[in-house]
Amino acid sequence: MSKINPDFSTELKKYGAINFNACYNCGNCTAVCSLSDEDNSFPRSMIRFSVLGLESEIQSSVIPWLCYYCGECSETCPKQANPGELMMSLRRWLTTKYDWTGLSGLLYKFIQLSIIAFILTAVGVIVFSVYENFKLENIMHYGHLFEMLAIGAVFSLILIPNIIRMWWFIILKPKVKVPIVYYFKGIWDLIVHMFTQKRTLGCDDNQFRWFEHFILVGGYLALLFTTIVLDWFGTENLFIIVLGYVESGIIFIVTFDFVLSRMKKKKEISKFSQPSDWFFVIWLFLLGFTAFVVRVFIDTNLLENNIWIYLFHLIILVQWALIIVPFGKWTHFLYRSFAMYFEKLQKDIKISP
Amino acid sequence: MPEQKSGYDVLVIGGGIAGEEAALNLANIGYKVILVEKDISIGGKMIHLSKVFPTLDCAACITTPKVSETARHPNISIFTNSEVKDIEKNSEKNFTATLVEKPRYVTEDCTGCQICEEKCPVVVNDQYQWDLVGRKAVYIPFSIANPRIAVIDIENCILCGLCEKVCPANAIDFTQEEKQTEIKIKSIIIATGYDLFDPELMPRYGFGKYKNVVTSMQMERQLVPTRPYNAVLRPKDGKMPDNIAYVLCTGSRDETIGNPICSQVCCMYSVKQAQLLMGALPMADVTIYYIHVRAFGKGFCEFYQQSKGMGVEFIKGKVGTIKENENGNLVVRYEDIEEGKVKEAEHDLVVLSVGILANTDFTTMFKNIKIGQDNFNYVKQTDELTNPAKTTIEGVFVAGTASGPMDIPDSILSAGAASAETASYLRRTNNEK
Repeated sequence: MSKINPDFSTELKKYGAINFNACYNCGNCTAVCSLSDEDNSFPRSMIRFSVLGLESEIQSSVIPWLCYYCGECSETCPKQANPGELMMSLRRWLTTKYDWTGLSGLLYKFIQLSIIAFILTAVGVIVFSVYENFKLENIMHYGHLFEMLAIGAVFSLILIPNIIRMWWFIILKPKVKVPIVYYFKGIWDLIVHMFTQKRTLGCDDNQFRWFEHFILVGGYLALLFTTIVLDWFGTENLFIIVLGYVESGIIFIVTFDFVLSRMKKKKEISKFSQPSDWFFVIWLFLLGFTAFVVRVFIDTNLLENNIWIYLFHLIILVQWALIIVPFGKWTHFLYRSFAMYFEKLQKDIKISP
Repeated sequence: MPEQKSGYDVLVIGGGIAGEEAALNLANIGYKVILVEKDISIGGKMIHLSKVFPTLDCAACITTPKVSETARHPNISIFTNSEVKDIEKNSEKNFTATLVEKPRYVTEDCTGCQICEEKCPVVVNDQYQWDLVGRKAVYIPFSIANPRIAVIDIENCILCGLCEKVCPANAIDFTQEEKQTEIKIKSIIIATGYDLFDPELMPRYGFGKYKNVVTSMQMERQLVPTRPYNAVLRPKDGKMPDNIAYVLCTGSRDETIGNPICSQVCCMYSVKQAQLLMGALPMADVTIYYIHVRAFGKGFCEFYQQSKGMGVEFIKGKVGTIKENENGNLVVRYEDIEEGKVKEAEHDLVVLSVGILANTDFTTMFKNIKIGQDNFNYVKQTDELTNPAKTTIEGVFVAGTASGPMDIPDSILSAGAASAETASYLRRTNNEK
């Protein structure tokens, strides 16, 4: 038996949901949604759950991740109940539910805590460089080392346990019986979704949005590889240097466009921005931009005298790796792909005799 | 200098069922009434309808006696094809207004023989059949029009002069000009009625793009005795439809198009049309997609149940999108709310049950005084519960759908209230409030 919890709407409002209680259940949103199908009809089902506060039903559902926010439901909703933004805030809420540390919940809800975290990390980097007497070579060496350690730590301590929690919510807790073979069968889909986000192409709005996002993800992952494995800042190889320029260029150009559209608020998807959305796009922009500038300074031999530019980049990098990746919006990269994976498992079971 | 007329008591703006009822009530107790109608015939929207709900009485048979009575009443002067402007309130029971009478280019000598109509070479869409068929540039608006005098649609007329040559009564007069008349009256009733929602504002329903998506008014015309095709046919290929869908709340209860309120009549007229269709096309399936069926009046719920008994299918869920197939059939996409699943269904004709919007003509009629408008653009009723005909101007009253959506009996009731309020206002002495 589920229990009705009217306080849930107050909680959801902290994650950006607006006016969804106005819904009068006409089903227009579900009918105009081009991603909605007979197996997974949404977003009205999620509005119902949210209005009634059926938290466990939402926790065990992959549906919020199936929406790619074209905004058509919000544009045409006769009650202006904003189903699109509700789906978005459910994703934010789910992110905090999957997080075993509970930190992302605090950072999402209280912007002061986010700011304190950003300040502390910045101070940490500065204290460290004072300790190293602002010796560029040492700082850059540790910076590179930090990247590798951070990735390892964040994944093994935070992200992988979180995905296991997500799996527990969606598959184990509702007692969905999935034979082990299916997990292997679905892996290809997981990889395809993770790297192409091809489901976005089902949205009725323009395909340019998908393309921008696609090259951003590609550019970001490639830059990660180029700086960590190929040591972009240390290399003399011309090909790697140019590659890094292109990748960081893609990142800051695309994110600049994202920031701009969030400021213009013309499209439904960019009308409502929470602090977590701003942090994500702005930090990603700064990350790409400062990396680009640092390499320019290296190539023009100016970095020795302008060590501050590297320190600035390092601060952004540390904040990105310790705050936004484990507890912020970055996680949607993993949760979306895994939600698609779990959805495939659920579907496969239904089809099999 | 415009012509001046005085000696009237009441100006009734709008010659639909509410305006006629109010004018008749006042004329019958001895007041002199001017009735001004923007259209070329009085009768309003009701004269175009097939049957009324829930009794299934013939709408024209109810309204035409009232139309004739209004037209022939010695105390009522009718101005058709005319508009009111520059209303000024000088003091209590002392208003002046200007009537602008547009030229018909046909004099009152017209006998309504329609020979001109036969000869006229110009064919354009017939607005009185909601564009389902054509009409000539010189035409009698519709068979039961009152006055039954032809009119020349000068914008589409090619000035060939054929009508002038053939007219046996010499009634064609191309020299007519716009005529302005200044009138003095003691009080005013606004009965300007409503506008229908234009579904082209909702491109996802494809009205205007897909020919087999029609409005409920177009379906209504297909169900009257003077119907355009003399059968119910779908417009694209003339096929007799056998699977018809109704989309309720098209342009009502929808904040995205600025009309958040219920139109109060769409559920019931759709149920009515569905029943009439069951008679006209006994083999046809009729499906009504609804958010809530609002069958709130006397006998309405029984009427709704009756349609279910006759085999009309009701599906809870607002239609999201309509797409056309190659054969002209339409695919409607909706969420079946009872199952919570998104579904698609094919129909060969889709009727959009369009809602009622405020006719905002009244806002520009007043000159030295402003009339209040409510949040939904209707005439503001300052005392909705105890004095429903009262507006923000003392001496100006409102009748029928000018004050909000309502059905025919309610419009007549409202007109009764407005005429009683008006009579009471006129009888009161000046120093009494």
